[in-house]
Amino acid sequence: MPYLGSEDVVKELKKALCNPHIQADRLRYRNVIQRVIRYMTQGLDMSGVFMEMVKASATVDIVQKKLVYLYMCTYAPLKPDLALLAINTLCKDCSDPNPMVRGLALRSMCSLRMPGVQEYIQQPILNGLRDKASYVRRVAVLGCAKMHNLHGDSEVDGALVNELYSLLRDQDPIVVVNCLRSLEEILKQEGGVVINKPIAHHLLNRMSKLDQWGQAEVLNFLLRYQPRSEEELFDILNLLDSFLKSSSPGVVMGATKLFLILAKKFPHVQTDVLVRVKGPLLAACSSESRELCFVALCHVRQILHSLPGHFSSHYKKFFCSYSEPHYIKLQKVEVLCELVNDENVQQVLEELRGYCTDVSADFAQAAIFAIGGIARTYTDQCVQILTELLGLRQEHITTVVVQTFRDLVWLCPQCTEAVCQALPGCEENIQDSEGKQALIWLLGVHGERIPNAPYVLEDFVENVKSETFPAVKMELLTALLRLFLSRPAECQDMLGRLLYYCIEEEKDMAVRDRGLFYYRLLLVGIDEVKRILCSPKSDPTLGLLEDPAERPVNSWASDFNTLVPVYGKAHWATISKCQGAERCGPELPKTSSFAASGPLIPEENKERVQELPDSGALMLVPNRQLTADYFEKTWLSLKVAHQQVLPWRGEFHPDTLQMALQVVNIQTIAMSRAGSRPWKAYLSAQDDTGCLFLTELLLEPGNSEMQISVKQNEARTETLNSFISVLETVIGTIEEIKS
Amino acid sequence: MIGGLFIYNHKGEVLISRVYRDDIGRNAVDAFRVNVIHARQQVRSPVTNIARTSFFHVKRSNIWLAAVTKQNVNAAMVFEFLYKMCDVMAAYFGKISEENIKNNFVLIYELLDEILDFGYPQNSETGALKTFITQQGIKSQHQTKEEQSQITSQVTGQIGWRREGIKYRRNELFLDVLESVNLLMSPQGQVLSAHVSGRVVMKSYLSGMPECKFGMNDKIVIEKQGKGTADETSKSGKQSIAIDDCTFHQCVRLSKFDSECSISFIPPDGEFELMRYRTTKDIILPFRVIPLVREVGRTKLEVKVVIKSNFKPSLLAQKIEVRIPTPLNTSGVQVICMKGKAKYKASENAIVWKIKRMAGMKESQISAEIELLPTNDKKKWARPPISMNFEVPFAPSGLKVRYLKVFEPKLNYSDHDVIKWVRYIGRSGIYETRC
Repeated sequence: MPYLGSEDVVKELKKALCNPHIQADRLRYRNVIQRVIRYMTQGLDMSGVFMEMVKASATVDIVQKKLVYLYMCTYAPLKPDLALLAINTLCKDCSDPNPMVRGLALRSMCSLRMPGVQEYIQQPILNGLRDKASYVRRVAVLGCAKMHNLHGDSEVDGALVNELYSLLRDQDPIVVVNCLRSLEEILKQEGGVVINKPIAHHLLNRMSKLDQWGQAEVLNFLLRYQPRSEEELFDILNLLDSFLKSSSPGVVMGATKLFLILAKKFPHVQTDVLVRVKGPLLAACSSESRELCFVALCHVRQILHSLPGHFSSHYKKFFCSYSEPHYIKLQKVEVLCELVNDENVQQVLEELRGYCTDVSADFAQAAIFAIGGIARTYTDQCVQILTELLGLRQEHITTVVVQTFRDLVWLCPQCTEAVCQALPGCEENIQDSEGKQALIWLLGVHGERIPNAPYVLEDFVENVKSETFPAVKMELLTALLRLFLSRPAECQDMLGRLLYYCIEEEKDMAVRDRGLFYYRLLLVGIDEVKRILCSPKSDPTLGLLEDPAERPVNSWASDFNTLVPVYGKAHWATISKCQGAERCGPELPKTSSFAASGPLIPEENKERVQELPDSGALMLVPNRQLTADYFEKTWLSLKVAHQQVLPWRGEFHPDTLQMALQVVNIQTIAMSRAGSRPWKAYLSAQDDTGCLFLTELLLEPGNSEMQISVKQNEARTETLNSFISVLETVIGTIEEIKS
Repeated sequence: MIGGLFIYNHKGEVLISRVYRDDIGRNAVDAFRVNVIHARQQVRSPVTNIARTSFFHVKRSNIWLAAVTKQNVNAAMVFEFLYKMCDVMAAYFGKISEENIKNNFVLIYELLDEILDFGYPQNSETGALKTFITQQGIKSQHQTKEEQSQITSQVTGQIGWRREGIKYRRNELFLDVLESVNLLMSPQGQVLSAHVSGRVVMKSYLSGMPECKFGMNDKIVIEKQGKGTADETSKSGKQSIAIDDCTFHQCVRLSKFDSECSISFIPPDGEFELMRYRTTKDIILPFRVIPLVREVGRTKLEVKVVIKSNFKPSLLAQKIEVRIPTPLNTSGVQVICMKGKAKYKASENAIVWKIKRMAGMKESQISAEIELLPTNDKKKWARPPISMNFEVPFAPSGLKVRYLKVFEPKLNYSDHDVIKWVRYIGRSGIYETRC
């Protein structure tokens, strides 16, 4: 399409629109107007013919009118002065005998997004609200919301709101629903439309008269109604029961959410509801409408988080079919992974094993990761399947299997033996960075059980020059040093070569620094190296932390039937956080680098902090997490303002400390692993005036005290003293808990 | 609430763009094209978030339809709306294709104006819409007073799906039971999963405001109604079927279904979907596929597939197509089949075997020798399943229509005067046998 030279097109169309012969011939006139709209759709700037289009609006042909109004709604903001000319015609149409014309004119007039239009539309809207044709009333009711949007933040017109509330009793169902929508927008600042007992009951009685969109909307509005008594609550639930079986999945989901929220104090009712919607949900999961199927699967996963056994007997419904789209298959694999239990584990694993050799590498890898997930509970069977997969000698499979093994031995140490036996030979089929890292890590940590580990690593050392991924080189350094500790004779020579290469020839600074670090560490003595590198090889508790026990239904009920289950909670959190930031845009700095360099506090975060008894005038505010880089820079540039030593004995859990610090709004920037010596932690905090406190905690090996150094970016002793007392309290509390 | 609706062709050119809310910028229409239509990898999800804006899309042949919003909406509802929009458009101009959309461009803008206002769905019933938007454009100035008042009553009426004063010389109704049977079978002939999703579609040409009552051989219905006559229960008990779940058109009185298990309704005029259901038990699988794949050395495969029809010998299945996948490195194929025609289609990597008609309780067989090019690719062939397509003149779920009674107390025609037609069509959905 001619994006360039659109002037010619505009000129030609202008001429055609002005041509009296064309104007006289209705069909030709309409055709020219159609062309204008077509170009507009394609993104051409057609605002040049505004004047001519306004003239074209004075016609009896409704189709033409509609086209012209569509045009005007698009370009009115660009040509507000010319758009005013059109208002006259529109106003006249608002009193046309034909209700269609009245509605159309009113709708278009309200959609003209330009300043100053309010004064013209107010009266037509008020007339429209009392029109005898419901078609016009529907338009007028939404027009109120549009008018309010145009005004921006102007105050709410009480009379209009009252009128809308009374229209909730209108006999036309769509008018009723539109009223709710309109009131919701107008009263947004006051928390939206009020659903009191009479309104709620009125809506409940009208439910069956509404179409599916209306039903879904009303169900959503009813969420904010609090029944007065238990009796009323159950009456409502009985009334709405049939909607759990509605033909529209959207209504079913809406009704389910309402039930879950209303019955939040009755867990058995909630479970009952979830049992009742099982059928409709499963039907949606196997429906031909793939997008709905996808949405239903997302919600099934949500339910499984709370009721792991809920769909277990229907596991076959979640078997993938060859021709299904990718996104459905991936969801189904996730579901299968979550509903596995003692009875179906065999069949599910059998099915997943079939997927592992799928043509689509993505899907195959997802299936392998799923088996890895199931392996946390059913270790032996899964490890066996994974080992068999290695026999296929396919790159994309081997790399994922090895990664799965790495994560698995960390969580389930009992499978280490089997994994170690499976590993030899894998190195031939791994080319990508992730897979190599996983393999090298396994060889380093469990090398003493794998006979040929040094020789595999030797191959990597030989080829280190042509290795493209710095991360692999780093992993190789660590692994080789670890293996050197357990099998020194076989590794000494190549460790020397690797260190030489990394220090003398390597161009990547991170790798070089790591090499230098290990070199110097070796100079200190082998005992020191052992203490630092031989950390525990597994941590089964991590698994427990990762999948917390069954979450109560109430924790996600309010997210049900929104976008949260579709995007996933974490992704949604980032989206909505950005949205929040966007909303208070003007108060925030424009660039992110600036945000990190100044002590700026987002307005909405300025909530009161839980005050400690001895914190005095100091008020710490939750800081946006400082970046580690910025912390380091500031730390190096400042002098120590205060140093102190506190008594400290024995072991403790760093997480506990971190949590405790979080409570008083002190952020942890970096922290050593539990049990390492020396143990260090870097903390940062900020008070309400923007003063930064940077802190280092240090536990020296052998010493029974904690050394605290605090730096401050503004020298103010009184705040410094109160900050230190806060810190002392926290550390003191931890010490008490411990003992 | 929907902020905007866009329709693109397969190249990503915008065919229709309608923005309903201010918060959707002009660049949204491009963002979707760049990030989804032109994206290299396959579609990751039907819901895409680009710059905090959610794009919901469905595809119809090679047309993309996208709904855009910035709010936290109900995903299911948005997709349902998109489906509804497709239905409405299809009711006006048939298949949704680029050509049809371009030709009916004005009409689509008119429709979009009516079914959504300020991003909120309004009246979307095709029947109601058709009275004020016609294919040729609106019946504007020729409209009589009477017609105008009809629009008003249509739009305000208590029954949104039917207008008053419909008259037919011949009262007639058609019932179609349309089912699609889905199967996933293991190579050993074990059913991994099977379900039937069915629809009862009714076309009614009835005068006045007729009250209809529909009966079928559902277990619950029969048990409940048969209590009085034990005789009938025993007679039909064997043939009754268990419906897992079913949903009805808006016109069916759900309260009556729950209390009396009877399906009664005042039908819309013309075609509509009366109910939709799903069964998983006692499904009649019309065909069994028995595959046999043997690898002879590294360069040859022998495939033998037997299909058995499993229904009454008097019935005929039609449009049978069996698709046997072949490896990517196939160099040549020899096929011998007893019935129908079989062809190796290199572009589709499959042997396609077509049989026009096949009676019940018959068996047919195809054998093929596939020659392979020797490759050094160690990748094993993943063996996609053998899929099948067919059409049979019965309902694989076993559903039977027992009666459909029509009562119109105000006009002088009775149930006997109505001409009724019932038809059963079973089609294959995803019908796969692993090999």
